[in-house]
Amino acid sequence: MILRRAQYELASRAVGPFLAALDDWQRRHRKRPPRESPFAPPLESLRALKDLMTVHYFSGRYADGAVPVAWVTSGFPVELLRPLGFHTVYPENHAAMCGVQRLVPALSDAVEAAGYSRDLCSYVRSDLGSLETGRSPAGRLPRPDLLACCTNICQTVLYWYRDLAHRFGVPLVLVDTPFVYGEATAHQLQYVADQLEEAVAVAERVANRRLDRGELSEAARLARDGSRLWGECLDTARSRPAPWTGVDGFFHLGPIVAMRGTEACNAYYRLLLDELKDRVARGIGGLKGEERHRLLWDNLPVWYATREITTLLASGGFNFVCTTYTNAWAEASRLIDPADPIRSAARCYTQVLLNQDLPSKLRLLERMARDFAVDGAVLHSDRSCKPYSVGQVDLKDRLASDLGVKALLLEADHNDPRAWASEVSTNRLTAFMESFA
Amino acid sequence: MRESYIQRQRADHGRRAVAVLPIHYPKELLTALDLLAVEVWGPPGAPRGDAAGRIQTYVCPVARNALAFLASGGADVVDAALFPHTCDSIQQLATLAADFGGWSKPALTFLHPKGFGRPSSRRFLAEELRALAGKLEAVAGRRLEPERLSSAIRLHREIDAHRAALLDGRATLPLDDPDLYALLRRGEWLWPEDHLAELRDARRLLGTAARRDGVPVLVTGYVPEPIGALAVLNAAGAYVAADDYAAVGRRIVREQDDAIADPWDALVARYAAAPPCPTRAADQDARMRYLEGLLERSGARGVIVHVVKFCEPELFDVPAIRRTFAARGVPLLQLEGELERQLSGQTVTRLEAFAELLSGPGGRA
Repeated sequence: MILRRAQYELASRAVGPFLAALDDWQRRHRKRPPRESPFAPPLESLRALKDLMTVHYFSGRYADGAVPVAWVTSGFPVELLRPLGFHTVYPENHAAMCGVQRLVPALSDAVEAAGYSRDLCSYVRSDLGSLETGRSPAGRLPRPDLLACCTNICQTVLYWYRDLAHRFGVPLVLVDTPFVYGEATAHQLQYVADQLEEAVAVAERVANRRLDRGELSEAARLARDGSRLWGECLDTARSRPAPWTGVDGFFHLGPIVAMRGTEACNAYYRLLLDELKDRVARGIGGLKGEERHRLLWDNLPVWYATREITTLLASGGFNFVCTTYTNAWAEASRLIDPADPIRSAARCYTQVLLNQDLPSKLRLLERMARDFAVDGAVLHSDRSCKPYSVGQVDLKDRLASDLGVKALLLEADHNDPRAWASEVSTNRLTAFMESFA
Repeated sequence: MRESYIQRQRADHGRRAVAVLPIHYPKELLTALDLLAVEVWGPPGAPRGDAAGRIQTYVCPVARNALAFLASGGADVVDAALFPHTCDSIQQLATLAADFGGWSKPALTFLHPKGFGRPSSRRFLAEELRALAGKLEAVAGRRLEPERLSSAIRLHREIDAHRAALLDGRATLPLDDPDLYALLRRGEWLWPEDHLAELRDARRLLGTAARRDGVPVLVTGYVPEPIGALAVLNAAGAYVAADDYAAVGRRIVREQDDAIADPWDALVARYAAAPPCPTRAADQDARMRYLEGLLERSGARGVIVHVVKFCEPELFDVPAIRRTFAARGVPLLQLEGELERQLSGQTVTRLEAFAELLSGPGGRA
């Protein structure tokens, strides 16, 4: 264990950063013909982002056996685990990497052969397929000692993590968040708070140490500050032109999802925010040309076709200036109270976007549309994400009728390219763009 | 037929009615408040009306059909709708119908806990039951009396005992599967005492028929729709010997009719005692052991997994079910439907072939 811990620390502090720097050096010296692109040059911060995530995933290869490892859903109050020294892995983040690299059909085929339906969430199929085949763009994920699941993003994660618990034979802590119709009731919030305390007890046993409540408060403060910084980064896109594209945000989201509650995460967002503010001050936009129309994106990204979609739109001067997906990790940050981390986490994590009723979603969409002065919206009708997609037909109509926002419902899937019809989608997006003429 | 029955209940007994979406809900509360529960399982068939296109086609037909049904006035004869926390789709349906059009009467929710067994879950369930009772009182226009709740619990215990007896003894029941299921499913909309009378009559028939020959099968799934599937199975020489449909067997609580000290505690206990169901996040291993027990007790020689397309809670358990019965050498047939009214020719062929497999010379695995 001591040797393993040494390997982990070496990977985190020395080897990982060295490899990231080496990769960066190679990238800068690689002779590549310039690629025609309607986008402005990438943010300088992107290098720091890649370094951060490279070190995170590289050190993860040495985490099991060195430190307690938890696989965590993106909506789980991870600050509970930080003071216990867990190395956290986000299967959703890993699945998105699989999606970007178009590995999902092969991964999904492997689990479909075992009886999993293709109609199940493509993140699940990616993750379970990666476990079945051993294929991963991250090299290797550390084996978990604990699984931490919160149903505030969907019920699917419950079934997913129950499956993982069966495969790994490790404890699963579940935070079941009652869906909020209107306002969360006192007994519903108490239920969530009670479950958080139950989760702490299990995590303590796995980590073999007691949770220091002072350190928990500090982790909560870091999580709150990180979310707030992330929100400030997103808010820079209220400027005209927006200094980046909303789709850039899909990739810069990584730290707030995977490293929330750490100083490294917050340091990154301070760096990013400075660069974005500088761009705003100098009038540099996310598009190379004129930002003629501003768009909102709803739902998860189409990971394997993000460049295809945004390049088409950007070529016509259309920029995604905000997305409900990236906003989700900034929205509830104001509810985190370091002085009362458990009860405030119960309030915060119960009220994330996907755990609220449709009027709440509509209010958010309309607020974002106004705040970011959007002309149009693309609602990704995501085939394997029911909680995000049910209601979109009505939401699209309401955006149009209430705010005069032109909206397009675009059918795809967040991770499985077999649900993507490129020609059809291109035709629809092109027609959408032409409707603004 | 249902609409006239509901109207007669109101006219003759002053009973109001509540449309209830699948699956698990405290029917005892409605009974105690003299509210008629009318369950909405679809209804089957293609969704019709203006609301048919408001939910995408990759969402399960239970939610899609229900929205179309509610929005087209199909449930206007009732006084409220109850949406249990079954899955993401029904959860979203509740807000879509109530908030964006389709249902203008009271829309109640029952957020039963997932992962029951923890102290937090039991406390929450108890409070959620009381919260629901408060909302139902408003619909019923009366207060819930503890004695009436105790009586309702005892009534539903008796109903479950009869339903269990009919399912367990079906081999000597002179009813084919479509008729038996038609009887059992009338409980989805009959006043409980009316349903109890029918169950008692049917139970008197137990043992009056010669033991069925034919191949016994275990069926697990969502809802027996279309019922024609069971007719095909019977015609092919097989019959349902063990039932794990969410609409039927999975809601039968087999418990002793003990004295009720506190009806609220008894209600929580009934929830805990119900057969494992993925929509309540039952432990998967426990569910597999339960299904194996059903197989063994019934002597079933094959398993039919009958799922509704896009139903994630059911679909997630399919690999484990396949592994469990493959390990025992028990043949398994998986059917997937979208609440069609009619069976496809392919499905008929598959059912017939499966029955033939089980009953042929090499059919005993």
